[in-house]
Amino acid sequence: MVKNITIFTTNTCAYCQMVKTYLKAKGVGYEEINLDENPHRRSEAHSLSGALTVPVTVVTRTDDSQEVIVGYNLSKLVPAIS
Amino acid sequence: MSQQIVVYGASWCPDCHRSRTFLDGHNIGYEWIDIDEDPAAADKVAEINHGNKTIPTIIFPDKSILVEPSDKALEEKLVDLGIMKADVQKQPPVVTHDVVMIGAGPAALTAAIYTTREDIDTLLFEKGVVGGLAAVTDVIDNYPGFANGVHGLELAESLRGQAERFGAVIELGEVMSIKDEGKLKRLETTSGDMLAKVVLIATGSDYKKTGVPGEAEYYARGVHYCATCDGAFYRDKKLAVIGGGNSAVQESIFLTRFASHIDLLVRSSVKASEVLQEELKKYVDEGKITVHEGVRPKEIVGDGNAVNKVVAIDSKDQEIVYDVDGVFVFIGLLPNTGFLKASGVELDEVGLIKTDQNLQTNIRGVFAAGDVRSGATMQIASAAGEGATAALKIREYLEGKL
Repeated sequence: MVKNITIFTTNTCAYCQMVKTYLKAKGVGYEEINLDENPHRRSEAHSLSGALTVPVTVVTRTDDSQEVIVGYNLSKLVPAIS
Repeated sequence: MSQQIVVYGASWCPDCHRSRTFLDGHNIGYEWIDIDEDPAAADKVAEINHGNKTIPTIIFPDKSILVEPSDKALEEKLVDLGIMKADVQKQPPVVTHDVVMIGAGPAALTAAIYTTREDIDTLLFEKGVVGGLAAVTDVIDNYPGFANGVHGLELAESLRGQAERFGAVIELGEVMSIKDEGKLKRLETTSGDMLAKVVLIATGSDYKKTGVPGEAEYYARGVHYCATCDGAFYRDKKLAVIGGGNSAVQESIFLTRFASHIDLLVRSSVKASEVLQEELKKYVDEGKITVHEGVRPKEIVGDGNAVNKVVAIDSKDQEIVYDVDGVFVFIGLLPNTGFLKASGVELDEVGLIKTDQNLQTNIRGVFAAGDVRSGATMQIASAAGEGATAALKIREYLEGKL
């Protein structure tokens, strides 16, 4: 079961838009951290994902286990939220 | 026997469309007569229906008639007449669409605006970003209608909204293969198999990779292909951009809003448009970008976690080292046609799809438009134009005029 979802995004990133579009279409809520508006949180995205890229989607389950999905990757996103 | 079914209808009539889709989906032949184009047929329909031109009116081989039948009534009649086999009847029908478009970039979205406005049922498949490469481009300066240019993401959103307003459905998924079954094409997709009367391939292209050592190892950890996505991680850092075409120059300019300095590594000479080159000159004069022509990348080097240099070779075969924190690669485009391998769709020597003057491929009912088409000019405005042309040709094809 999914407890919450956090997505790290930027204003200009089209792949971020796709992750949000997909979650909205599935009726799944999420918190967005826009790194253009919160540049100090870039290192957080980096340490979670090991990558210098957005989107980074963090799916936290009810047992507090986490899955971190780098980029717009439906083959990982679909099972992570189901 | 099955050829003797005659369906009287009109292109605008949704129930006619439904009945035809049912017959097509079960591979049952019939003659289609559009009463808007055949006054004698219109009179015949009026005679059958006591003066009303009610459509669809379907006449069967035994001269029996159904008017505006539900799919269930149509199925019962066909089973009664022995036209539909019992085992076929039990199989769940595979969904049939008028048009399936593969890709949802500017070409497909424009085509979808045209087809859906004419009530042609249209489904689009997008495995990446709606809007395609246009969506990941920072600013598009040469798309008509935007005096001050337009952000790629904004253009993509507008195109999507416009197509959806008329009823286009965009499925986030992938088409793995196309099989020509004559009148219908069978598509293997992430949502299961489906059938389409027409397929429009508009899968566009993707950025090429350099293939040098370190590129794959440091992907997303110092090596990037999307400036609008990843540029923000390089605030006050030094970058290299590899490439010398429009994308390389455009995205270098975009990256100056974050990076302290950019080394633009160009294999031969800068090939970007004159307008972009003039724009580039401003940043060169300010010391934000340095252009290195005649330079080929040899290796991308890092410390295991992040990139710290690019090693390149100049025209005299001398090694040059650029100390940078990240590399963005824009060295040209590769067509997305890998999934067509077993389809029989003819490709040119670089893997682009060959079409005739109607944008139809060597397979009837399979069209191609935009960057993926051999002869395309790789411009967003051209892709949109080709999408419109393809949609009009698709309509002609569906009406039996092509």
